[in-house]
Amino acid sequence: MQTVTQKSKEAYFTASQGQLIWSRFRKQKAAMIAGFILVTLILLGVFADFVGPYNPTISGANKDYTNGAPQMPMFCDHNGCSARPFIYGVKRERSFATNFRWVSTIDTEDRRYVQWFVKGDDYKWFGVTFNRHLFGVEGGTIHLFGTDDTGKDIFSRTLHAIKTSLAVGTMGVVISFVLALVIGGIAGYYGGVIDGVLQMITDAIRTVPAIPLFMALAAFVPDTWSAEMRFFFISIILGLIGWPTLARRVRTHLLVERTQDYVLAAQLSGAGSGHIIRRHLLPSFTSYIIVDLVISFPYMVLSETALSFIGLGLKDPVTSLGVLLQNTTNADVLLNYQWYFIPVLFFVALVMAFVFVGDGLRDAADPYSEAKK
Amino acid sequence: MANFIRFMGIRAILAVVTLLIVSFIVFSLMEFVPGDCAERYLAYKNTQGQSLTMEDIDAERARLGLDQPFIYRWVTWVSGAFVGEFGDSCILRVSISQLLGSKFLISAGICFAALLVAYLVAIPVGIYAAASRNPVVNNILRFVSYLGLALPNFLLALIIMLIATVYFGDSMSGLFSKEFRDAPWSMAKFLDFLSRAWMPIFILGWSATAFALQTVRALMLDEQSKLYVTAARARGLYGRQLLWRYPARHALGPIVNSLGFDLNRIFNELPIVAVILTLTEAGALLLEALARSNDQQLAGAIIFLLTATIVGLNFITDIALALLDPRMRNSVMGGRG
Repeated sequence: MQTVTQKSKEAYFTASQGQLIWSRFRKQKAAMIAGFILVTLILLGVFADFVGPYNPTISGANKDYTNGAPQMPMFCDHNGCSARPFIYGVKRERSFATNFRWVSTIDTEDRRYVQWFVKGDDYKWFGVTFNRHLFGVEGGTIHLFGTDDTGKDIFSRTLHAIKTSLAVGTMGVVISFVLALVIGGIAGYYGGVIDGVLQMITDAIRTVPAIPLFMALAAFVPDTWSAEMRFFFISIILGLIGWPTLARRVRTHLLVERTQDYVLAAQLSGAGSGHIIRRHLLPSFTSYIIVDLVISFPYMVLSETALSFIGLGLKDPVTSLGVLLQNTTNADVLLNYQWYFIPVLFFVALVMAFVFVGDGLRDAADPYSEAKK
Repeated sequence: MANFIRFMGIRAILAVVTLLIVSFIVFSLMEFVPGDCAERYLAYKNTQGQSLTMEDIDAERARLGLDQPFIYRWVTWVSGAFVGEFGDSCILRVSISQLLGSKFLISAGICFAALLVAYLVAIPVGIYAAASRNPVVNNILRFVSYLGLALPNFLLALIIMLIATVYFGDSMSGLFSKEFRDAPWSMAKFLDFLSRAWMPIFILGWSATAFALQTVRALMLDEQSKLYVTAARARGLYGRQLLWRYPARHALGPIVNSLGFDLNRIFNELPIVAVILTLTEAGALLLEALARSNDQQLAGAIIFLLTATIVGLNFITDIALALLDPRMRNSVMGGRG
């Protein structure tokens, strides 16, 4: 027994920063669950081409099933059960009986079984074209979350939207991080007058309401720009929104850490400044920075969504969460096509997961969090 | 007293400098935007069937003073902006102060009301949450305040709007009923306004409340673990008496300081919520100025006004804090300035 506690103590004292953070993070149930959801969502986004059965743009639209309801695979019906999940086929007809309008009817006798790794629309990964998708049905289509008014598969679109929103957010975070590191770093490193002036400018910028300002800029994007150019432009704008807060944090970290006792101790032990920066300052620092980045991520996603939502951000054919949310803005959707709201749930889940993980990481990265309790 | 006046003077100068920096940034950004006011106006005229030449554009430029150097134009703009004179709108050719007029005041009023509501809810609930050891209460509150972020105002506005349209048949949008839209202000119009204004106030206040709740709770938790609280407890103080007397007063400073950033956040949400609720106030006007007509003159004016409001609030909270907080009061009055 004695040796076990001794060993665990030894493990604790020799553990690296990362191991300590992980062991503290693991103890927080909410953050762990959120982390699991977050990883799942990110993987779904990254492998959107593979997991989503259809192309999210108009070329993958199913013109025979527009505004179609979600089709949930099931195992049992009145004809008995099957080990392989199936959906019902849909017939579309117009005749005298339907007043010559197109009407879709579900044919409960027509079972279509879900197949794994089916061939479908082409997509490219690292320049190689693939056409296998995780699932599909034989002789028909499957729309887990239904389709929109042009027949685009909402499930595939949601996955691609997660990918786009994450990509925009990542670019935005990287840009604002670089800016913050440079500006906050200069302020924190030099201190004195330079710090004062930079702080004043940063604070001034922080008082400007960012979204109205960047709405102003985004509105001047010419309509002739391609989807990719818009994408980069919006990412840059998001990066410019985020930097002041981050820069302030970087500066504070630098100022605080520079005067810590352990730095003095290292100096007294004869460590060179290169060694101190590498072995002491950077490790004490990176965890905070990573936490800050995770925390600022949902704001990026939110800003992108807000800009796209009012039509100043990304537009079709790019599929982002904001673009999908825009489709829900009419009463018809609430009355008849409620499945348009499914992407909203994913959006809320994504932001929530980020916030919980960010909070959990912040607590875990704080070496004094245990002492406080 | 002389010290206090000096303190106020320094704060006022700082506020003005901040505004100058902001105005410079906003003005430069509006310069970077492709095309200037003259081109835009004449292009607009072109669509009305008048044909125009390069000379016309140059003449218009000279008339608007756009041929002057950048710094000169900025100084003119700023000196106008500080007295509330922003020149004419690019396209509508109406004085901007006239165009904005009461609209800006109404939207600022709504935003301040939202801020007030947020803190009226957040302060008591936050203090209670921090004091309560009940994990269920704490977890629920945590979840709600996260939801304030994950369910942003524009989504909330959208959902409420749709539900109102579908189930009550009234879209609840706009700030005035039809019969009052163009009527002059009167008691009846004011009451009508109030009966509709609670919606945007509630929606704008929603995330602000969530954020404020987190701030208050975190501050109170920090204060409660301090020694003076233990000392007070040892003297036999407990419950509400203890909370209000010591930690709440300590936490007041940072809370008052965070007001400016909360207003900033509300202003961020304003244009989007305004569009969904089709309010005719500054936020929606901004979007219209930008998206439909590319009116940089109007856009710059609105952004400047919004920022000026925040800077003004920050100035007032600084002064209020200096008066309220005895520690601050002593350092301000006590000679060190």
